[in-house]
Amino acid sequence: MHQVLPSLSWSGRWLLALAGVFFLVGCGKKKEAVVERDNTAEVKAYYAANPDFFRFATPADLPKDLEWENGADLPEIGSPAAKKGGTFYTFLQDYPRTLRHVGPDANGSFRPWLLDDVVVQWAWRHPTKTDVGPKGFHFFSGLASEWAIDKARKTVWVRIERNARWSDGVPITADDMLFAFYFWRSKYIQDPWYNNFYTTNFAGITRYDSHTFSITLPEDRPDMSERVLKLYPQPAHFFKELGDDFLERYQWRAVPTPGAYTILPEDIDKGRSITLTRVKDWWAKDKKNWRYRFNPDKIRFSVIRDTPKSFEAFKKGEIDFFNLSLAEYWYDKLPDSDPLVQSGLVQKNKFYQDFPRPTFGLWMNTNRPLLDNREVRVGIQYATNWQLVIDKFARGDWQRMQTGSDGYGEFTHPTLRSRPFSIEQALESFAKAGFTTRGPDGVLVNTKGERLSFQLTTGYEALKDVLTILREEALKAGVEFRIEVLDGTTAFKKLREKQHDISYTAFSVSPEMYPRYWEDSHSVNAYDNAFLPDGTVNPERKLKTQTNNVTSTALHALDQKIIAYDRSSGAEEMKKLAFEMEEMLYEHAAFSPGQVVPFMRIGSWRWIGYPEDFHLKLGKNFTEWMLFWVDEDKKKETLDARRTGATFPPVIRTYEQYKQKD
Amino acid sequence: MALNPLTVKKLRRFRSIRRGYVSFLVLAGLIVLSLFGELLINSRALAVSYEGRLHFPTYGANLPGTAFGLGYSYETNYRELKKKFEAEGLENWVLLPPFQFNAFENTPYQNVFKPAPPSFMGGPEGHLLGTDTTGRDIFARLFFGFRVAIFFALAFMTLTYVIGISVGCMMGYFGGVFDLIVQRLIEVWSNIPFLYMVIIIFSVIPSTLSIPARVAILLLVMVLFSWTSMTYYMRTATYREKARDYTSAAIVIGAGTGRIIFNHILPNTISTVVTFMPFTIVSAITAVTALDFLGFGLPAPTPSMGELLKQGTQTLTTAPWIVSSAFAALVFILTLVTFIGEAVREAFDPKKFTTYE
Repeated sequence: MHQVLPSLSWSGRWLLALAGVFFLVGCGKKKEAVVERDNTAEVKAYYAANPDFFRFATPADLPKDLEWENGADLPEIGSPAAKKGGTFYTFLQDYPRTLRHVGPDANGSFRPWLLDDVVVQWAWRHPTKTDVGPKGFHFFSGLASEWAIDKARKTVWVRIERNARWSDGVPITADDMLFAFYFWRSKYIQDPWYNNFYTTNFAGITRYDSHTFSITLPEDRPDMSERVLKLYPQPAHFFKELGDDFLERYQWRAVPTPGAYTILPEDIDKGRSITLTRVKDWWAKDKKNWRYRFNPDKIRFSVIRDTPKSFEAFKKGEIDFFNLSLAEYWYDKLPDSDPLVQSGLVQKNKFYQDFPRPTFGLWMNTNRPLLDNREVRVGIQYATNWQLVIDKFARGDWQRMQTGSDGYGEFTHPTLRSRPFSIEQALESFAKAGFTTRGPDGVLVNTKGERLSFQLTTGYEALKDVLTILREEALKAGVEFRIEVLDGTTAFKKLREKQHDISYTAFSVSPEMYPRYWEDSHSVNAYDNAFLPDGTVNPERKLKTQTNNVTSTALHALDQKIIAYDRSSGAEEMKKLAFEMEEMLYEHAAFSPGQVVPFMRIGSWRWIGYPEDFHLKLGKNFTEWMLFWVDEDKKKETLDARRTGATFPPVIRTYEQYKQKD
Repeated sequence: MALNPLTVKKLRRFRSIRRGYVSFLVLAGLIVLSLFGELLINSRALAVSYEGRLHFPTYGANLPGTAFGLGYSYETNYRELKKKFEAEGLENWVLLPPFQFNAFENTPYQNVFKPAPPSFMGGPEGHLLGTDTTGRDIFARLFFGFRVAIFFALAFMTLTYVIGISVGCMMGYFGGVFDLIVQRLIEVWSNIPFLYMVIIIFSVIPSTLSIPARVAILLLVMVLFSWTSMTYYMRTATYREKARDYTSAAIVIGAGTGRIIFNHILPNTISTVVTFMPFTIVSAITAVTALDFLGFGLPAPTPSMGELLKQGTQTLTTAPWIVSSAFAALVFILTLVTFIGEAVREAFDPKKFTTYE
């Protein structure tokens, strides 16, 4: 201040003083508006009001016969060659709408970087040793130092790592897990999925001491251990101000995390960029399975809305890696013969994974006129030429999806096959629905003069050519698709509002033991009071929005099976139910299974390091599991080489260790 | 209709400006040609003779394959039909148009849907300018894209001028408080950002509407935010003409307001309007191209130059023929219109023929 003031004129000082006054007034007002709140008493009262769910015990109450385990014998994830430090540059197509993990708009494309890929759960399913053992999947330790599973008591006990800390330095305790249930069940967060999931799927939590707790489930499901161990706590101290204004109050505040990365307030440049910063002295930095991951000091995201533009940024070296899964990019835009690849500056890797894939396909909204007719939907299934898309657009690299729950091993229906493209069968189905004559433009019409024409919406700009192809083929079968390409967030919003006719979209699926049906097929998620008590359709039912049942599927018989499935404890019984439900959904025909992309194809600059076998069996995308690192020395070397024209041996590899054999 | 001798003189002068006149003839020719585009560029045959009966599929309802003894009920593939008939060697024949691909069909190149180079660059036969990213013929898409754009621009011009001239003349003729109020209204109105309005309106109109309806709405929105600029010129011109003796004479005879404005004042101010016309067309074509480029214009898969330009910028290195064809076509058309505009301006230049001042 001393150096600045003398150079200002008197009027300048006046203005400065005036600004100062306004600033102070502003602060004062702000303080008045944001009421300090402490919900400790409210939370305690909630625990007291639900004594069956929230139980308090002493360490002496711990059963003596528990078999504690910690997964220490499993192979380590990541490469010891990983180097710490540096900044990893990547991009986003849409700026995140919030930094909250829950509530409206929270489930966007940035959430993996806020939660899914960077959080530390109690324990994690091992990503390469994926078989089902006697106690379920194999887990390695995260926040839990050890855990014990007792099927008979339907309970999992967890002991918390003593040194585990939130990113703001506060220790993580069992109270944070208790609070998490309060939080997820709270009306304040305005997220019905969380409210419902954490109310119906858990029977109780018991606190033994600050670092020991147990969670009891309503049924001993085959994946019981997974259900508990993949939970994570919520920072009770941070959510002290939880209230009706949760959305506004927490919109742009980074939630303290047990993970390696946090977001500093100065790194939020709204609409332009956002940066993750590695937590200083992260508690898990020397822990097995964690020490070779989360390597870069910073991860910087710039917003680049256009895919071609981001590809150009990648070629310039402003972005460190690029997803080349689209054939156009892998074969034409960055072919093996490209000078960047041939000079070894950019490396190309194709890696086959093995896990349940995103459910790409046509999701038909059965609540829409004409689409409420099963025959029309069956006709559309036959009129959709996925094989042509796979052969001519993806150049044969993709595979056809057979059911909405492929990739779950024994839980996937072994014989059910998706309907092939067949004009005859499509016409036959349309005829059954009353569409027998073609109009002058070749589109089928019924006697009422209605045309067989539907809006086909997508949020995948990069895949819009798929729709152009499907449209031309469908016309042959007499059905018209009117294509609508929206930006990702808008399309998803439209989908969740159930405003679409047909949507070309995919839900990402986490590698669970068995598929979920409740979310996208139970009537509760389609309508309020879908059925009358006797099982007939309620004529006054209202469409329910903001759920994943985007086909508005409501079948009374299916509902019963879903409930039985979700309560079942026998794997064999569940398989039988899963197959029956899959057959019912096949008959219902509201989802036309599309393509499966069995690999990731990654282009990366030479300074990006990765493990020798590139990735993990369950690795969804390049950045999941955070195995990569930035080699600052190589970066300098590579940038110099680009200037001088020096070259390195080209790297073009395919990793087929997890490729499924047909 | 007997033309005003002054107008005849202006037209004669326009014709003497060769560059503009030739451009006018070329553009007019293109527009007329585009009206019959289906006869030139189409996957449907011009005529088919099958078992002694003649069919003319171009403009009628689509004829299923079964009509020609083929085993499918969707639209006949006439190119294959022609090959089949030729192979059979019977009396049946197919007459195809000069360009045999329509603007919508995807044709694979090297068995994959990807851009094919123009036929003169070694690409597949029949695609004069190659194909776009899903294998659609670029020449067909450009040609029909031109047709959509030029008629869109003509409609746009007519509408904006009807509204702009009426309001402008009224402001000039009535003057006073009316002029004052309307001027302020126009100032407010013209400050609403047009592009944002298009984006907002397009986000709320139901997507269930048909393509012609969506095009009409786009046209209406563009007109709604573009008619204002014309009012200023017409207002001042009318003010000037209103003070002349012939207007007073008309008032004295007892002519009505409408008659005075449209029959007496308008013909004397038309030279201002005429000189603006070509530039309005240019700006309309540019606007609709820009909107398509941004993804807010004509709904997919309507052929459009803007959409091709967009594809072209995304495939600059892998398929340079897309962007170069679209760019060349756009520049060609805009240049034609600009030449016409220059000539019209020169021919109608009031300075040359006005005797007063």
